[in-house]
Amino acid sequence: MSANGDPQSLEDEIADLERRLHDAKARLRLSETVVATPTPANDAALHALFLLSDSALPLGSFAFSSGLESYLAHHKPSPPSASQVPSFHTFLHLSLATLASTALPYVLAGYRYPADIDTLDNDFDASTPCTVARRASVAQGRALLTVWDRSFKAQHTTPATPANVGSGQDLSKGVAAIDALASFSASLRTASPPNAHLAPLWGLVANVLSVPLHDSAYLFLFSHARTVISAAVRASVLGPYQAQAVLASTELQSRIRGLVEEGWDRKIEDAGQSVPVMDLWVGRHEKLYSRIFNS
Amino acid sequence: MSYTSPFEKSTTKPGHGSIVLGLLPPNTPVLSTVSYQYPLKLVAPDPLPPPDHSEDNPSTPSLVHTVFLLTYGGGIVAGDSINLDIRLQSKTRLVLLTQGSTKIFKTTDPTVVSKQYMTVGLAPDSALVYLPDPVQPFAQTAFSQSQIYTLENEEGSLCACDWVTSGRSARGENWDIHEYKSRNEVWTVNTGVDGKSRRRLLLRDNLILDQSGQTSMQLSDRMDGYSVFGTLILRGPVFKSLSQHFLDEFEALPRIGGRNWGDTQLPELTPKEQRRAQRQQREKADVLIWSAANVRGFVLVKFASREVEGARNFLRDLIKEEGSILKSFGERAVLCLK
Repeated sequence: MSANGDPQSLEDEIADLERRLHDAKARLRLSETVVATPTPANDAALHALFLLSDSALPLGSFAFSSGLESYLAHHKPSPPSASQVPSFHTFLHLSLATLASTALPYVLAGYRYPADIDTLDNDFDASTPCTVARRASVAQGRALLTVWDRSFKAQHTTPATPANVGSGQDLSKGVAAIDALASFSASLRTASPPNAHLAPLWGLVANVLSVPLHDSAYLFLFSHARTVISAAVRASVLGPYQAQAVLASTELQSRIRGLVEEGWDRKIEDAGQSVPVMDLWVGRHEKLYSRIFNS
Repeated sequence: MSYTSPFEKSTTKPGHGSIVLGLLPPNTPVLSTVSYQYPLKLVAPDPLPPPDHSEDNPSTPSLVHTVFLLTYGGGIVAGDSINLDIRLQSKTRLVLLTQGSTKIFKTTDPTVVSKQYMTVGLAPDSALVYLPDPVQPFAQTAFSQSQIYTLENEEGSLCACDWVTSGRSARGENWDIHEYKSRNEVWTVNTGVDGKSRRRLLLRDNLILDQSGQTSMQLSDRMDGYSVFGTLILRGPVFKSLSQHFLDEFEALPRIGGRNWGDTQLPELTPKEQRRAQRQQREKADVLIWSAANVRGFVLVKFASREVEGARNFLRDLIKEEGSILKSFGERAVLCLK
């Protein structure tokens, strides 16, 4: 093996090995992209996420401004022709913070502990201090329950969909959540019905539809932002393109992501109001001379 | 026969206190326990018969007791922890008061949170009026308080106010605190047919003011220029007419954004309407806003104002106008609103 001692042939050999390594890596990358073609499990969750994020989901959210209308009435610009956009941004900021500190813990708990839905509903009701906010939350919660009953239920009562075949544990969990939802929905027709607030039900329905927990929490806050922004368009504060720009902004993105992170481990006992004046704006909506929204 | 020496050493722990208001048959309420340990101090002046008491009306108790909640130095120093337990037996009435605002003093370490916990057990047919002065957290303070009321079978009457100010406004303090938390909860314990008792949450009012993360907005900016925030919780038969009064007056507030076009003849105002108009003008001058809501058997009043006096005037005017607290508990009940 005298050739091994020759520096020239050693260099050739190294170059050859490097080329083969490079080729092998390229082939591996190629096969990885082939593997990442749609898998049925991801599809089902993604499909459900689209259903829940659709602004045509019949929850009647368009009827509520979550206090924006009242806030604008309490903050008349002077002169009257001045732009209300800066004060809208303040409101959106505070409104999201409020929702994250009051309702988000219930979304997460509704997802994590489906069997506790009755207690969660009662405790959320006990923590909602004003009639206007309660009206908005109950109306949307009941609407979500109706959508489930009339539209989604048929797809999920037969649990043998490809999405949840796999591990047996997941299957029994899914069934427990469906049972909790079914008995809650049935108790609405009893003599002392629950309130059916949106937040805990949102978590529970997302669980049943096997939307990942983080996505459902993010979507809950995102939908709220969209509702408030769309209310701003109809209250002539923003134009439609401005509204899309706010909705698409990285600022909103990072704020929602941050709020979800911050609230991830917050217990429902520690849910509370971080913007006390928000309760007053929302509560005083009833005192507006003219109203275009229900909250 | 058991005998308790009046000179016996106290067994309570620092900051712990206990009040038990019992009933000597047939109709004489007595403070059977008033114990406390530094830094908490309780002062119970002689009980007074309520103005609405008469011999032929046995449904009202013959005496109303008053207890002042005090702390040495008039405030709570960093790291203090106060734990007060109050029991009201059936057919008793208690007025809880403070002497001046509860001052929260500066902490050098924001993680050292001063605490004040109060648990109150209300038997059916008992009533509590708790109208204290506001809590006044100074700059750089961390404070957490909770008031947990427990009713039996949803009975018992409660009138409790919880309000907080922005600090020493004369020194330019404006919500410059590290943290302020206040929790008000009302629970009911029901005994089911199986003999087991169940706790159920009736009301939770939880205020969390901290400088944390995503809200990323200075506390003072979050407060929209208000320096006082408060909640008044009303429940039960004793405060029924007062609750209704708050709801009626909220209903009678002028509409926001309404205009007087001058084409309607102003009718002669009744004395009540004149008083109302005067009060509303003062609320406007004080920049006070409020709302009242009837939820789950409670009337919940929320208010905010620029100055402490504005909120004080508002509470005092509405409570005095209606008058039932003064009749059933005497003038002392509104001492902190003077």
